[in-house]
Formats: sequence, C-alpha cells, structure tokens
Amino acid sequence: MKNFLLLFFIISQSIHSELVLEITKGSDDPYSIALINFKGSKNINNQISSVVINNLKRTGEFRILEDKQLLSSPVNQEDINFDEFRLLNVDFIVMGSTNQEDRNDLSVTYEIYSVNKRSKIRTSTVYGIPNRLRQLSHYISDGIYEEVTGMKGVASTRLLYVTEQIVDGNSIFKLVVADADGENEQVLLRSREPIISPSWSPNSKEVAYVSFETGMAKVYIQNIATGTRELVIENSSQISSPSWSPNGKFLSLTLYQDGNAEIYILNLKNRNLTRLTNHYSIDTESVWSPNGSKIMFTSGRSGSPQLYEINLRKSNSKPKRLTFEGNYNAKGSYLPNGDGIVFVHRKEDNFQISLKYFNENFIRPLTNSRLDESPSISPNGNVIIYAISEDGTGLLAGLTLSGARFRLPVKIGQVREPSWSGFLR
Amino acid sequence: MLNIKKIKNIKTYSIFFMVILITSCSSMKVTEEAVYDSDISTVEASIIEEKEMNLQTKAVFTNATVYFEFDKFNLNSKSLQTLKSAVSAMKNNKSIRITIAGHADERGTREYNLALGQRRADAVKDYFVLNGINKNRINVKSYGEERPAAYGADENSYSKNRRAEIN
Repeated sequence: MKNFLLLFFIISQSIHSELVLEITKGSDDPYSIALINFKGSKNINNQISSVVINNLKRTGEFRILEDKQLLSSPVNQEDINFDEFRLLNVDFIVMGSTNQEDRNDLSVTYEIYSVNKRSKIRTSTVYGIPNRLRQLSHYISDGIYEEVTGMKGVASTRLLYVTEQIVDGNSIFKLVVADADGENEQVLLRSREPIISPSWSPNSKEVAYVSFETGMAKVYIQNIATGTRELVIENSSQISSPSWSPNGKFLSLTLYQDGNAEIYILNLKNRNLTRLTNHYSIDTESVWSPNGSKIMFTSGRSGSPQLYEINLRKSNSKPKRLTFEGNYNAKGSYLPNGDGIVFVHRKEDNFQISLKYFNENFIRPLTNSRLDESPSISPNGNVIIYAISEDGTGLLAGLTLSGARFRLPVKIGQVREPSWSGFLR
Repeated sequence: MLNIKKIKNIKTYSIFFMVILITSCSSMKVTEEAVYDSDISTVEASIIEEKEMNLQTKAVFTNATVYFEFDKFNLNSKSLQTLKSAVSAMKNNKSIRITIAGHADERGTREYNLALGQRRADAVKDYFVLNGINKNRINVKSYGEERPAAYGADENSYSKNRRAEIN
C-alpha cells in the first residue's frame, strides 16, 4: 500500500542532470539504519560501506546514518544503548566485522539489531575472495534490505546493455554486463555492426541478442561464462526480438520470412517453430507473462503501434488489445507479480515510460522526458531501469516504485537497452 | 585460477551448510552464504563483408535514397521519380543486383523501428517488382534506427533518417 500511494509522487518529479550515480528523490518515510564501522581492515571496510550505502540509498527506502552522525559507536552488542538510537529515530543498527585469514580468503559477518525490539534479529556471514569485494558488498546490502523490508534485494543482480562508441569515425558496438549499480562492466560481445534487444535466460547464465554482424539482423544465444554462442535459426531473412519463456525451454522471436514481421515460438530442444501471429501489419517485441501462459507483443494492426496479448493456453486465442490511450504504446514488459505492464507511451512528441495495472482503466506516466525507452523491471518488481537521451547522449536511468530516481554512472559513448537479470544470490 | 577454484569449493560447502536457523526464543535469523561466482568471456564478432559488386554499375545507385513520414512506409511522388530512374538502369543492365536497406528515425522503440525499416525496404522492392524487375535481383534488409544518416535530435535530422537506401 505504501508503494502504491508513493507512485503518485513520481509523476510530478523531474529528473535533474548530475553526472554520477545520484539519488534525486527518495521515499517520504524511509527506514533509518545506523551503519556502524565494521571491525577489521579499515581499507576493506571503507570499500564495503561505500558500496552498501550506495545500494541502500538507491532503493530510495533508506536513510543511512554513519558513525559521525551517531551519539555513540558501539563495538559490541553489550555497548548498544538502544535509547540513544531511538532518540535519533534509528530503526535498525548494523554492525559487523571482516576477517581475512589469508590472501585468498575473506569473510564478513554482519549483525542487524532492531531498535524497536531492543535485540539482535539477524547474524549473517558472507564468504568471498578479496577481488570479489563488490559482489560481497552487494550480498550484504541484499541481506540488510531483505531483513528490513521483507523483500528480496537486487543489489547482487546484473544488468545487460548495449554501448556504442565512435572511434575514428566508425562505430564500435558492445554488449556489456555490469553489476546492478552500473559498476564492474565486462564485455560479452564486441562488433562493428549494431547489437540490439539483449535479454537474459531465466537462469541468467545465457543471453540472447540481435547482432547485425553478418549484415542482417540475426538472433544469437551466448553463454556468459564460456563465450560459446550459436545462431538460433539459419535462414535467409531477418530474425529479431528474442524473449525467453520463464521455464527456459522456448524462445519467442520475430521472423521476417513471411515478408512481414511475425511472432514465432522456437522450441529450444527440438528446434520446432510455431507461428503465433498472422497479420499483414507489424507484430514484434514479444514477451512472456511471468507464469508463461501469455505473450504480449507490439502490433500495428490498429493503424498505430499498440500492445496486445495472446493466451497460449487457449487454442486459436485471438489477440486481446491492452492499450488504448494515444497512438504509440510499445515494448511492453509484465510486472513480475503479473499485476500490470510497463511500456513506452507516446505523449504528444515525447516518448515516456508508463505503467498500467490490469485492474485500472488508465495509464500512469512514470517519466516525463523526451525520449525514454527500453524499460526493464528488476526481478523483485521494485525498480525500473530504462534508457534516456540527453543532448544526443544515451544514458541509463532508474526509478523505484517507492519514489526514488537515480542515474547509473556515465560511460563513454552511448548506453542503451538495459535488461535486468534474474536473482543470482 | 586458483582463486576461482577456491571460491567454488567454498560455495559447495556453504550451500551444503546454508542454514536459516530460527531460534525459538528470540526469532533471530542466522545465515551463511558464499558469493555467486561467474567468469565472463568476451566474443569478437567476425564481420562478413558484403560482396562488393562492380563499382561502375553500383555508382548508378550510390545516391538512390527515398524518404518516408513518421511511422509510415508508403512511397510519395518524389520517391517514385527517384525509383523510376533506378528501374530503367536495372532494365538496361541485367547484371545489376541491388540491396535495399530500410531505416527509421530514433523515435519509438528499436524493434518496432526494425520492422518499420523492413516495411519501407519492402515497399521499394514491391515497386521494382511491379515494374518488371525480377525479385531475385533484389536483397532487402532493415537497420531500424541503428544506422542514422544524421545525428541531430530534430525533425530535420529525423526526416533524413526515415529512409530506404538502394545500393
């Protein structure tokens, strides 16, 4: 209910234009957390706390107090004076210690105390190695988030996106995977030809994307760890817009072999193709509903792009139109709980990210700049990441349903088409 | 390499022992976990160059580009003028094969624009075929909004990008 109400505030907020990760708006009623300096290596602890603070602040649901803002810095459980923390309106206290037994071994133990209950509510240990310190910090962030909000955190998840950089007059396209905070970028594919429509397999071990490397749009599947990849269908026409079924067994695609964009379902095991749409206008951008029973897609059949849905459980199910406001509604995705859809909506000359709940007959604009596109929803359903264009530069921005807004750190060149992984932790 | 192996061992160990204990007296949660470990490999796409056709015959078409309205793929009278000369050149020289590449401006979604670019290229192809050119001499593809001719974010640039290029 809290999230639901706060959503109304999002609409009136405009995005400012600082250059680094920034939180422009948070919840009106955040959880207050006192993060006490961890025991152990100061250098390691500083790195951990900066990542954790960033992660928690980005959700918009937390106010973080560090040692210097507190009345005391307890070292052990016995030192905690809960009344002092109550005075500062602190809801939870997080203490911890890092332990490094040898060069390759690092573990962090953290404890969460409830000021209200005046007791410890959680003790967690995360094992890692020093060069995975950021990932370890993401795990701590998610542990805190989960304990405090009761929902799974997404700090330890990953983003997939495309970058374009112009070098000596030629474009270099990269398919990149990064931590959810935009750091720790690693390149999956580098090409001189465009790459579009990246998407994760449900287990987040593979990605599908469209590459123009042969001179024509084709869909590839690539294993992240090994780099092994395959062209999913070999034919002489374009193939694009891949989307994995939730069980990982099927890939929906747009094929152009019929002389027009039509949606097909490819069985990844036996390679059988089933045609899903049959219309002379454009049908593309298919996505599966969270339970795999429906496919939503963009179609021009009404004369302008609109979102439609096909029920896969009924044979010969007719596409049901989902959007009616305006003359451009496209690139839809389902909320993970299946309650609604997020998509690109044209309002006058602007393209904005919008949300529609199935039990409402109106759409909720979530952004208000000129050219927002490619929304992708976090696996916990709380955050939407999307691409924006500012002075001709493509950047990634995010918003949370609790009302926070943020930007991911600016990279060199154009950044576009973010796609959020599933839970990895 | 050693590090990775080590963490994998820890992972196995901790999954085995990953316990969430809820003690009856204080409802305190205890967890243990190891960080997810995954390596990442980078792939270089090998670019297959298109077969270059005879430069002389190709030159005839170098600037054959037709333009479209937003979210439209119908040919206007100016486009028909441009295409007429292309058709006669193809009739005069039976060895000419062409590729028609459709494009869109940056507004709207990328996949829809890819499909729209295809419709634009197809509209041009249909014109050639209607005017007696064998469809086997024509190759069609779309770049959607991925290869703009002009980089500005205004109608002047957009109108240059909503195009089909004949080569």
